[in-house]
Amino acid sequence: MSGFLALLKRELRSITKEKTIMFAIIVQFFIASFSSIILVGIMAFYDPSSIGDSTHVRIRAGIVATGENVEPLLNYLDESNVRLHVYPDMTTAEDAFKRRRIDTIMVVPESRNGVVDMQLIMPELDTKKTVIFMVLDEPLKRYENYLRESQGVDLNYNSVGGKPNTTYEFLYSLIVPILMLFPALIAGSIVIDTVSEEFENKTFDTLAAAPVSLGQVVASKMAAAVITAAIQVIMWVGLLRLNNIVIENAGLVILLGVVIAAAISVVTAIMALYFKDRERTQFVYSIVLVALIGGSYFLNPSPFGLITRLAAGDPSMGMFQVALYAVPLAIVGLLFLKVSRRLVLSRR
Amino acid sequence: MSRREITRLRARFSGKSRVIVLAILALTIVSSYVIYHQDLVISKGLYIVGVSADAPVIADSRFNITEHDRETGYELLERGAIDLYLDGEEIVMSHTERSEYAAGALQKYLEKQELLRVADAYEIDRAFPLRIEISYLDGGDEDLIAEPSAPAPDIAGIPDSTAPTDETHKSLSSAEPPVAMSPEPVSPPEDKLAVASPIALPEPMPLSPAATDDAVRKQLTDFAESRQLPEFKAEFISENDIIIPSLMTPPIPLAQVIITFLYVVPVFFISLFFTSSFTEEKVSRKLIVLLSAPVTRLQVILGKMLPYLAYSIIVIIGVTMVLKGNILLGLAIFIPVMLFIFSIYLIVALTYRTFKDQTFFSVLALSVVTVYLVGPAMFTGVNDLSYISPLTLAVTMYRGESFTVPQYFLATTPLLLVFGQTMFVGTRVFNEEYLMGFRPLHKKIAEAMYLTLDRAHVNLSILFMGMCLVPLVFMVELASIVFVTNLPMPFMLGFMLIVSVVVEELAKSAGVVILLQNNALQRKRDVFKLAALSALGFMLAEKLLLLMAMSVVSDSMFVQALTGGGLLLLPLALHVVSTSVVCLFTAHFGTRFYLLAIILGSMIHAIYNLYVMGTLL
Repeated sequence: MSGFLALLKRELRSITKEKTIMFAIIVQFFIASFSSIILVGIMAFYDPSSIGDSTHVRIRAGIVATGENVEPLLNYLDESNVRLHVYPDMTTAEDAFKRRRIDTIMVVPESRNGVVDMQLIMPELDTKKTVIFMVLDEPLKRYENYLRESQGVDLNYNSVGGKPNTTYEFLYSLIVPILMLFPALIAGSIVIDTVSEEFENKTFDTLAAAPVSLGQVVASKMAAAVITAAIQVIMWVGLLRLNNIVIENAGLVILLGVVIAAAISVVTAIMALYFKDRERTQFVYSIVLVALIGGSYFLNPSPFGLITRLAAGDPSMGMFQVALYAVPLAIVGLLFLKVSRRLVLSRR
Repeated sequence: MSRREITRLRARFSGKSRVIVLAILALTIVSSYVIYHQDLVISKGLYIVGVSADAPVIADSRFNITEHDRETGYELLERGAIDLYLDGEEIVMSHTERSEYAAGALQKYLEKQELLRVADAYEIDRAFPLRIEISYLDGGDEDLIAEPSAPAPDIAGIPDSTAPTDETHKSLSSAEPPVAMSPEPVSPPEDKLAVASPIALPEPMPLSPAATDDAVRKQLTDFAESRQLPEFKAEFISENDIIIPSLMTPPIPLAQVIITFLYVVPVFFISLFFTSSFTEEKVSRKLIVLLSAPVTRLQVILGKMLPYLAYSIIVIIGVTMVLKGNILLGLAIFIPVMLFIFSIYLIVALTYRTFKDQTFFSVLALSVVTVYLVGPAMFTGVNDLSYISPLTLAVTMYRGESFTVPQYFLATTPLLLVFGQTMFVGTRVFNEEYLMGFRPLHKKIAEAMYLTLDRAHVNLSILFMGMCLVPLVFMVELASIVFVTNLPMPFMLGFMLIVSVVVEELAKSAGVVILLQNNALQRKRDVFKLAALSALGFMLAEKLLLLMAMSVVSDSMFVQALTGGGLLLLPLALHVVSTSVVCLFTAHFGTRFYLLAIILGSMIHAIYNLYVMGTLL
């Protein structure tokens, strides 16, 4: 055991001594400091309409209305951060637009049989028109509903209440699981690097002569990688808390992250011992990862889903489901014990 | 050389390991195929909803549905065992946040079902009475270069009065997304060179009813199919698109980023194999053995690179075909990008000896390169300076527009130059001592620079080194602009001033100081001469770069800055003075005091910069 601890200490020291890893962690923190900006950016991928929710920008709209029935539209616009300027004709509106007094022009003609063919004039700038459109989205939808109603078409479920759910779903079903599982992926990479390094430097032969078993040597490498992963997971839970994102069942979430990191470490160790060179192992590892992530989708709950539901405080998830994930860990652990020695000593 | 590399790669994956790899690969393909044909739902079972017997059917796997009678339902809700209770048509929430989010999600789902019902039950004019046609009008001059001192100003284009706090402003500028919306054909190409000239406003003409009805029907079909993944389109809203507010599902914004992912990431992946193979042969000393073979160093490097380049080209062709782009144009745009990426990885492979270092620096290189490529491309069609990134060309291509020859060269020349430089440096440092040495990073760089200098033509070498470092300095400054946008305004300016001055002084004096360090310079007169040459080279390249930018961006502040008031001779004097101060100081006191010398030179440079800024304002 003391031999194992000494080895573990050596591995951990070599990881912390590695300037590049420290550097990588600093970069991680740096990115975390951007998080609010990045979050809005990534959110836009997940649900583009969320851009409207997350901005509180006032835009200025010019209105040229010839039709009846515009009153409600003006009210809706007024209620959602749009400053209104009404113009009598296109020429004056266009002039104001060019002098940058307004951001957009809405031309509302008379309706033909109840249908309003509105014209929306925007600047060509991509970024600007996106924001304008996202701000206008809500009042336009309300106006559409108004026009429907005036034609005798009623929509139910218009005002149930409740909060916009996009951010919530996005945070807990993507960001949190990614942050919790990413350290596990890194752990796998670290194990491959350190194990295949021993092969490439031919130091396994030296270690074979030392008074520790080869299993212990590899196990210490895995342990070091798992500890690094655990530290990162705990750190992310803390950082998220600082950003006002609360992880419910934090203990279980961290435990699950660590269990998965451990399972991946064992698998990668076996792969590294089998292939004995980094290039092939990393390649196979990346394919296996894709396969695993794909395959886990069919599990219920999948690792991703379980982290989501634990972190979001789903009352039906708990220790039992986390414990289920210890089963594959135990299996690969046993496999490792069985084959590690033979794999190390087998010739290339 | 190349054939050897391919054989090596094949040998790697032979026998049993090939079977395993192929088996895993097949498994991966099968499972991704199956997932693709099911609907990919990420938040499966996130919300627990209790329903009464007469509630509408909810077919959405985000909701975990259980049926309860009214009494149990309310009780479970009270206990927090379910998030919502759907009592007939009424949604009942508890007072937890989770419950409110669940209600928000359920409302959106039910609203959609309602729209489909209404679309079914009523004729199209009554169900969708509002149609909006988009048209563009240019809002006068909006020249981002006109504000060189403020790197991240009105990016979102919303004037100051409308941005209440800095925070909103920031989040806005990152939320800048172009791309598509409705599945309308791409708008007819416009003369996109006329960014600054106002486009005549199309008179609001009455749309033909049939046209908008068609648009409604088309969008309704798409809406009913409810694709999970919004489709790819290079523009957010195109001109002449017709929008129906309730049917609008905005597409993924930022076509630039998607293009990057599709093209650049596979190339990165392939070049990772190149680095990995290179490093392996380096560590196992096989590369050194190759040096004694009758091939040149350049042949060794290029030969090892060639197979991977070929794979990358296949990927580029494939992606372009999938996105239905012009293959020749795609190749013309992305081959320089590919060469650039490979040269970055060659640097990593030449510099580092262990795989751990390599992995981390590869990741770092990936993020820096991504910022360099994606950042400018965000301004496609807005500012012509965005053409410093070749991705802008790609976005332009996918929008069905055209770009000019100077724009193409502005985008690709720097990348090709970097490739050429790397190849040159690579062949110079390709010797056993350099490849096998274990040294800290800055020593490695110094050594590489020393090896690059041609001792027989020191003057010329120093001049060229001064020139060659300009793109590097430019990239460092660009990256620091991205970083400092985190700081409040006054700090931002100060920080930028300091960073740019220090980086420039470092770049100009590095060559001379390295010669000093290796005791290759004795006389003070030589030190001065070389310092002046280095400064001259640096300035020449700097102005050349500006000139190139000018040929694309015609009416900007750059022209004024370049031609206004003797701004050519003055900076030359400044560069020569500051660089020779740094070099002579170092020559006199020794290389240990190089840092102090840099501080001194930077101060002179900074004072000059402040003076110039003062006269310009």
